[in-house]
Amino acid sequence: MSDDFRARARLVPKGNRYEDFEPGRVFKHHWGRTLTESESTLFSTLTLHFNPHYFNAAYARVHGHPGIVANPLLVFTTVFGLTVEDLSEGGGPFLGVNQLTYHLPVYPGDSLRAESIVLDRRVSDSHKGFGIVTWHTRGFNQREEEVIDFKRTNLVRLRNQQS
Amino acid sequence: MKVSELTGRHNYFEDFTVGDVMKHARGKTVEPMEQVWITNVTMNTAEAHFNEHLTQSMPYGRRLGFGGVTISMCIGLAAEDTAENALMELGMDKIRLKGPLHHGDTLYCYSEVLETTDAKQPDAGIVRFKHYGVNQDDKHIFEGERTVLIKRRSHWGDK
Repeated sequence: MSDDFRARARLVPKGNRYEDFEPGRVFKHHWGRTLTESESTLFSTLTLHFNPHYFNAAYARVHGHPGIVANPLLVFTTVFGLTVEDLSEGGGPFLGVNQLTYHLPVYPGDSLRAESIVLDRRVSDSHKGFGIVTWHTRGFNQREEEVIDFKRTNLVRLRNQQS
Repeated sequence: MKVSELTGRHNYFEDFTVGDVMKHARGKTVEPMEQVWITNVTMNTAEAHFNEHLTQSMPYGRRLGFGGVTISMCIGLAAEDTAENALMELGMDKIRLKGPLHHGDTLYCYSEVLETTDAKQPDAGIVRFKHYGVNQDDKHIFEGERTVLIKRRSHWGDK
C-alpha cells in the first residue's frame, strides 16, 4: 500500500446526474438556513437594492413589519442555493426560472428549508452529453409555511454519455 | 417618521406607463468577492463559482458567476427606479440567463413597463416589469419579468 495519502484517497463525489432525475422524484434538501439581519442588509446594499424595507427597521415597522424584511432575492437565492448539491452541482448552466411566487415575507431569524420535485426532463439536442431538467422548488419557513416557489431549468450532465 | 421623505417622488404606481423603457443610471462591476460572498452565503455548493484553479481547465477557463447573482444584481441596479416605493415583491417569471457573467464583469440594466393593474388594496397598484441586463461589451446576458406591489402617491405621497 502506498504511503502517499493522495494515492490512497478515494474521491467522495457530490451531486446527481441526468439519470437520477426521474420525473416525480422528490428531494428534501439538506441543511436549512436561518437568515440573519446582517446578511440581509449586506445582500441588499451590495446589490444596490434601495428599498428601505430591507435596511431601515424603523421604515419597515411603519409599514407593518416587526423589523427589517429579508430581501426577497436573498430568499430566492438561499432556497435555490440549498437545492444545488442535489439538483445542479453535477451539472451545467442554469438556464432559467418560471412562475416564481413570493407567498409570505421572511424576516431575519426565520429558518428556511427547501424541497423539490422533478417535473420534466429530456436529452439536449444541441449540447452533447447533457440533458435539460426542470424542477419545482418550494421554500418553507420554520412554521412550515410556504414562503416561495418556482420552476427552475438547468442543463444537467448525463452519467452515461450517449454518442 | 415621515416615510415619504426617505424615498423618491417619481416612482410611485402612478408614474409607470406601459411601454416606457428605462436605462438605469449606474452599472456595477461585480467583484470576485461579491460573486463568492453571495454564492457561499446562500449555500450554493457548485464549485465552478468559487474554485478558480478547477475552472482554469474548464471551457470558460475562469470562474463562472452564479446566475442568482446576475438576477439579483440586475434587479438591484433597477431597484431605485422600480422598487424604492414598493410595498412587496410579488414574483418573477420568464427569467433567462442568456450568457455568462464572470467575476469582474460589469453589468448594466434596463427596464420596460409591461403592465399596470389595480391591486386589491386601494393604496397600491401592481406593476409588471421586464428587466434586461447587458455586460461591458453591450452583450445581452439576462432578461426576466418581475411583478411588484407599488405604493400609490395618492395614499403615500405625503405620509
